[in-house]
Amino acid sequence: MYGWIWRRLPGNAWIKAMISLVLVLAVVYVLFQYVFPWAEPLLPFNDVTVDNQ
Amino acid sequence: MPVRVIVRTVSELCITVGALIVLFVVYVLFWTGVRADRAMNDQIDQLQRQWSKATAATTAAPGGPASQGRPGPYVPGRPFAVMYIPRLGFTWNKPVLEDTAVDTLKKGLGHYPGTARLGQEGNFAVAGHRRTYGDPFKDFPRLRPGDAVVLTDGSTWFTYRIDKGPYKTVPTDVEVIDPVPRKSGYGRPGRYLTLTTCDPEWGHSHRLIVWAHLDAAQPVDAGKPAALRR
Repeated sequence: MYGWIWRRLPGNAWIKAMISLVLVLAVVYVLFQYVFPWAEPLLPFNDVTVDNQ
Repeated sequence: MPVRVIVRTVSELCITVGALIVLFVVYVLFWTGVRADRAMNDQIDQLQRQWSKATAATTAAPGGPASQGRPGPYVPGRPFAVMYIPRLGFTWNKPVLEDTAVDTLKKGLGHYPGTARLGQEGNFAVAGHRRTYGDPFKDFPRLRPGDAVVLTDGSTWFTYRIDKGPYKTVPTDVEVIDPVPRKSGYGRPGRYLTLTTCDPEWGHSHRLIVWAHLDAAQPVDAGKPAALRR
């Protein structure tokens, strides 16, 4: 999977590494900004009131 | 060759899932706190601005200081007071917002809609996160009878004294926020305060409750109440 992505990236090894880094940061950003905020309320830490059960 | 591809793909997937879990833990333990601290400071700033504006309006129109000082109705999701609990730390202060929706509790403590207004006859009930989103009630079990819970709505300081708790109950026990909670030991109507959070720290099987009564109220012009002075 990662080998396949690596082979698809243009340029020499340095450019590939830079693009990979940018891609990783983009994935982390999307996770922190959109995916995790959606997933977090499914965990029990939000239940602090006595009536919404 | 296909076996090799399968093994490689499966191991890459495992590493990816592992990395995802680590990132999620970082998010829950660390990032929600960073965000909540920022959001709570924003809420408090918003209140301070609102209050200083109201004070300016009062001094500009000396005709009706009594009516000017009256806080308006609580708007869902909006802050209306700041809470101080010296036992949880001398600098511990959190905004109190109206309603207990998930999004509201990310920005501060939540006032149960339908319970009494701050300082009024009845039960002023407030919920807060034990863990995540800034851990506002992390040290909840350290609260003891006699501890002060101080709130201000911009015109008055209210000092509540804890009478009972932390009391452990189940999530369906809604009568703990009744106007006169039966298990609190209060026998007659009064000006009470109830705080609720979850227990155990990372779970949701139980709730921790403390009850307090209104001990003193003084206008903000009279300075900070004794419980907040060092």
